[in-house]
Parts: sequence; C-alpha cells; structure tokens
Amino acid sequence: MAGSEAVPTTIKKPKMSKDKKKQYIIAYIFLLPWLFGFLGLVLGPMISSLYLSFTRFDLLNPAEWVGLANYQEMFQDTRWIASAKVTLTFVFVAVPTQLIAALLVAVLLNKKMMGVGFYRTTYYLPSLLGGSVAIAILWKNLFEIDGLVNQVLAYFNIEGQGWISHPDYALGTIIILATWQFGASMVIFLAGLKQIPKELYEAAAVDGGTKIQTFFRITLPLLSPVIFFNLVIELIKSIQVFTSAFIISEGTGGPINSTLFYTLYLYQKGFTHFEMGYASAMAWVLVFVLGVMTLVIFFSSKYWVHYEDGGKL
Amino acid sequence: MKKLFLLFILSLLTVVVVACSSGSDEEETSGENNDTETEGTEETDEEASGEGEDITLRVAWWGGQERHDRTLQVIEMYEEQNPNVTIEAEYSGFDGYFDKLNTQLAAGNAPDVIQFGGNLNDFVLRDVILPLDDYVGNELDTSLHSQSMLDSATFDDQLFGVTLGTTAWGVLVNKTAFEEAGISMPSKEWTWEDFQDITPQITENIDGMYGASDFSEDGFGVFLAQRDKYTYLDGEIGFGVEDVKDWFSLWQDLRESGGAAMAEVQVSASQTPEQSLIVQRDVAVESIASNQLGAYAGATEDEFELYPYPYNSETGKNGVSLRPSQYFAAYKDTPHPEEAAKFMDFFVNNTEATDVLGNDRGAPVNSEVRKSLIESASELDEKVYAYIDLVSETSDAPYIPNLPGYNENTQLFTETEQIIYYDQKSVDEASEDYFEELLSNIEKYEDEEAE
Repeated sequence: MAGSEAVPTTIKKPKMSKDKKKQYIIAYIFLLPWLFGFLGLVLGPMISSLYLSFTRFDLLNPAEWVGLANYQEMFQDTRWIASAKVTLTFVFVAVPTQLIAALLVAVLLNKKMMGVGFYRTTYYLPSLLGGSVAIAILWKNLFEIDGLVNQVLAYFNIEGQGWISHPDYALGTIIILATWQFGASMVIFLAGLKQIPKELYEAAAVDGGTKIQTFFRITLPLLSPVIFFNLVIELIKSIQVFTSAFIISEGTGGPINSTLFYTLYLYQKGFTHFEMGYASAMAWVLVFVLGVMTLVIFFSSKYWVHYEDGGKL
Repeated sequence: MKKLFLLFILSLLTVVVVACSSGSDEEETSGENNDTETEGTEETDEEASGEGEDITLRVAWWGGQERHDRTLQVIEMYEEQNPNVTIEAEYSGFDGYFDKLNTQLAAGNAPDVIQFGGNLNDFVLRDVILPLDDYVGNELDTSLHSQSMLDSATFDDQLFGVTLGTTAWGVLVNKTAFEEAGISMPSKEWTWEDFQDITPQITENIDGMYGASDFSEDGFGVFLAQRDKYTYLDGEIGFGVEDVKDWFSLWQDLRESGGAAMAEVQVSASQTPEQSLIVQRDVAVESIASNQLGAYAGATEDEFELYPYPYNSETGKNGVSLRPSQYFAAYKDTPHPEEAAKFMDFFVNNTEATDVLGNDRGAPVNSEVRKSLIESASELDEKVYAYIDLVSETSDAPYIPNLPGYNENTQLFTETEQIIYYDQKSVDEASEDYFEELLSNIEKYEDEEAE
C-alpha cells in the first residue's frame, strides 16, 4: 500500500513503471496476510508487553505504573535467579552436545553405504516429533521410578532411581531429550558436508593426511558457516524451551525448581500468580539477553567462521 | 478492468484473512465467540427473563471424563426444558483451567457460569464475581441448602456462589493390601501413634509398596484443626512456625521409619486418581476428598475403605470438617445474570439433574435432594454418604477457607516438602523459611485487598 503511493512521481519509462507498479501492488497483496498477522499478533502484543513491564498488572484491575520496580525486583527474587541458572545450564550443555551429536552422525551418514537413506530418515524423525506434548509424556514415563529406563537397568542388576523426581537428575533428562532431537541440525550439516569439494580430501590423501587431520583441517573449517548457523538457531530455540519442562514437571518446575526454566517461571508469574507486569519484564530481559548472546556469536564469528569465497556474498 | 480485478483479489484476501483469524480464535479459546456475546448484551440486559428470547449461556468447569459426561447430560436436559437457551460448554481437565480462565477474565470474555474450587475467595477479591443476593428467592432457591455451605460462599455478607457438593478430607485405605500384608484393619478411631505404628509394617511386608503417601497441605490444615488452630481466617494467620516444624518432622520421622513413601516416589505422585500412588500400588494409605472415592475405587481392582483422619491423642480431636467441593459462580459482567442464576438453581435443586450428577462433586447441599439420592445410591456412594454423615455428626472443627493466593502458597508448600525430602535444608530451617515467605505472600494479597 505504501508502494502504491510512492509510485506516481516523475517517471521516465511509462511502460516499465506500470509493470513495476503492478508488481509492487501484487507483492503487497501477497504480503497482506502476513502483515496483518505481524502487526496484530507480533508487533502489537510486543509493544503492549513493553508498556506492561513497567506496571503492576494482575490481569483484571487496570495496570498501575511502577517504573523500573519489576526489573529491580528480579535480582532479589531467588526463584528468578534459580530459573536463570537452570536455563543457562541447559543452554550451555544442551546446545553443544546436540551440535556435536548432529555433526558426528552427519559425518557418518555422509558416507556411501547400504540403506543410508533409511538411517537419515530415522535420525531425523525425533526432531519432527520433538517439541510435541506426546514426546514429553513419553519421556516422563521412560524416566519415572518404575519407568522403562530403570527396568532395563534392573536387567543388568543396576538399581536406578526416579530420574525425573530427583532434583539432581531432572534437568539431565530434559537435556537428553533435547540432544535426542539433533535431526534438524544434522540435516543442515549433511547439506554442508555435501558442499565441500572432493578435491580437497583427495589432495589431503595424497599428502598423507590422516582421517582425524582431514576432519579438523578441512571438514570443520569449511563447515564453519553451517556450524555458525546451527549454533545461532539452536541457541535461540533452547533458551526458550518450555513444553518439555512444563509437561514433565506438571507445570511446577520441580522438584525444588530444578526444571524451572525461565519461560516456565515467566508463565507461572503471569498466569498463576497474576503478576503479568513482572512476567512482561521477564520477557524483555530474556529478549535482551538473547540479543546480546546472538551479537556475541556474530562478532566472534569473524575469528572462527571461514567462508570459501572470503565472506563476500 | 485490471484495477477491478486487483480490487477483487484484495477484497477476497481480506475475507480470507478475517475468516481465518476468527476461526483460529475460536479454536484456541474454544467458543469465546464475541458475536454471540455482544449481540446479546444490550438486548437482553433488561429483559433477560422474557420468554422466547434466544440466549446463549457459556458454562465452564474442570473435571475427569465422568464429570464431563454427567454435566453434559444435565445441560442437555436444561436445554430441552428451556428451548430458548443454548448452552456452550467449556470443559477441560484441571491443568490449565485457571490459566485459561484468568486470560478470559482479563480479556473481558469469561464464561457466564464458572466452576471454582476453594479459590473462589481469590476471585471475589479481584471483583470479577457476580453477587447472587438479588436472585436468591427468585431464580435461585437456597432455602434447603445447608447453612455452613452457604456461609462458605459468603464474603462481606454477600453470597457469591452455589456450592455444588459437600466433601470432607478422609484417609483412603487399601484393604486388599492390608490383607496381603497380614495386618488387621485399624480402628476408625485411630490416632497418629497408631498410624506411625501401622504404616511401616506395610512397607516391610509388601515388596515395592510403602505405608502412606504424604498428606501434604490438606493434611496440614486438618492437623492444625486438631490442635484448635487454623491456617488463615478473617485476615489473621492462625498458626505458628512450631506447628509447621511439628508437621514436617512427623512426616520426616515416618519416612525414616519406612511408614511413608521415599522421596522419589512421593515427588512423582499425581493428582489424577488413575495415576495416584494408591491406585498404582505404590502406597496403601492416601489422603483424599471424600467425593473422590468413586474415582479412586473405580480405577483399581483393590478394595478401598474410607477412614477418618487419625486422631490427635492429646486433644482427642479429629479435625475434619465438612467443606464445599466446588462452586458455580457467575461472571460479574455476564449479560444474562438471571439466566445464569436459573441454570445454577436447576443444577443443584432439580432432582432429575442431581440424579444424573450423583456424588461426583460431593454430597448435594440441598437436604431433600440428598435424601432422594441416598435412597438410590450405589454401594460405593453409600460409603461416601455414610462418611459425610459421620463427619457432620462428629465434626469438631470449623470450616476454614483456603489461604489467599492459593496457587502461590500451594507451590511454596510443595517446594518446602521437597527441600526436606532431599535434605537440602533441615526441617527447622525449611519450616522457618516457609513461614517467612508465607507471611510475605499473605501480606502482598492483603495489600491488594486494601487497595
């Protein structure tokens, strides 16, 4: 729509501009549904949540301006600190393990062998199902005190324990769940591996390079743009993890806040404790931290990401 | 020509976009259809009782499958008798029920009739519930309702809800397990000393089964009543940190003696009857609300018996009192307050309806309805009524409503239990921290009330 207004200025080639005008209009028409959604469902709520983060708002009575009080309160809130710790632990453990698993399996599946298509599909499958409620429930049953994991352990005469009901292990089960869903990154790694020119490996073989040397000197550097991409995507995804923790702990973040993810605590504050202003402030702190972390990765990328064409697009 | 074509596409897309978005709205919030609401608002505000006017009433509740089936059946009956009324049922399990309700209340499109639990007071405080006094004696007949249940829904001398059933805390005992363990069933006037004596024997004699599961916050309320104390009433807290310590050490000792389930079993406990520890045969004794007996007994082959709480041997008190299970209350801004009151009246006073509803939400509060139900009760329901009768005859404690800020405080209680289970703090330290945080939570809610 903005385009239609911008067009009728000084025009030298009337025929071209008519075409262009038409193209603009058509483009905007196709954009309309998304634009409506973006303004109504993303931008609007975001602006109102920014306003709410400076208020005390119990959902029912009018919001009351409190300035920065919500933000100050956070740093004295022991549960907020606990939730930040849980989330950061998760991010710093789950993201690297997931990426390493994805990379190793991708390297294996990059070889020519029987039934490789079948394996690729199989390993990709969990990440299709991953975020679902059903998988979280399945996970809960697996790691319960009389769950399948302990039954298998019992077969080897190892006495297991209630993994999800013990504060020291509950987070671990969720990290394993996240790692298990390495499929999406794996497929991207596979595509990246296919891009690496064969000649480089051949040259390395001629020069007597070992497998491990070629992996660290050729594969990794040439794959670094893909690693970079996967790292950013996984970071953003895992810092916002919610479903699995919500289902596995039945919304409590327990035992003893050991699975109280940041987003889960945010949800509790907003919807069960009636503190929507505080919850909004938490959301904006999350956005800020996530932004900073992503920026750091972007800036650091010039030291470890190698583009074959020297980074010129 | 081309302009026309573009215009056509544009309008078509607009239609699609609008249609899509309203469609998904409906899905997400199940039937919060703004059309039906706004249309009805103006027209029916003054003449809602007028016959023949088409009215849509939204009714929300939580529960298990059985409650859904029974409630839906009653709704159908009501619609048959009142052809001008269409009822939109919004039902779900307990998980997420109040989260959704809070969102609807915030958006100003809450259902007309809403089921609440002991947290009704929190919502009255937030000024979203319709006072029913104008309708009592007209649309709503409460003359046969028991006074204590009316009192429980009365705040500042105004009635805010209709009690759907009477219930009482009780102790569920797995008789089959006791037989297997070769232990004779305790007397119904058992004491906490008996309890401490019997429960470890179960753990010892049956592989993989513990004596009891933690009675938790509900049990703590009863425990206080046995000492002539209470949690919170009329703006005052009625117990001290010593009581908290005593309660938590009682269960600490029970876990050490083997009478109570070990930490990891206890933490995995579920509120859903089918997945509860007692039905899963992880424990032989569990604290439940009496109206739940059917749901628990129906989920297992074992024979269950309902016991009163263990007595306090020093005071000789049992501490259990009759309590409301759930309420129906009307949304303050409902466009059809009379219709809402009429539906609530039907739900608790019409014998055809209550025959269908049975004991699922507790024993009926209407004395005549209760009589007619007892006559036709099944064996299991008879047990429940017998228990309710026993409690109403022997009750030595008043009914105490929930703590304000129910959700937050319950979470705090559970967290404290777990801190003790896993030895992160001593009983004394954990109890003191609990008490301190509880006081500050209550203060926060009192502040809100004062505003």
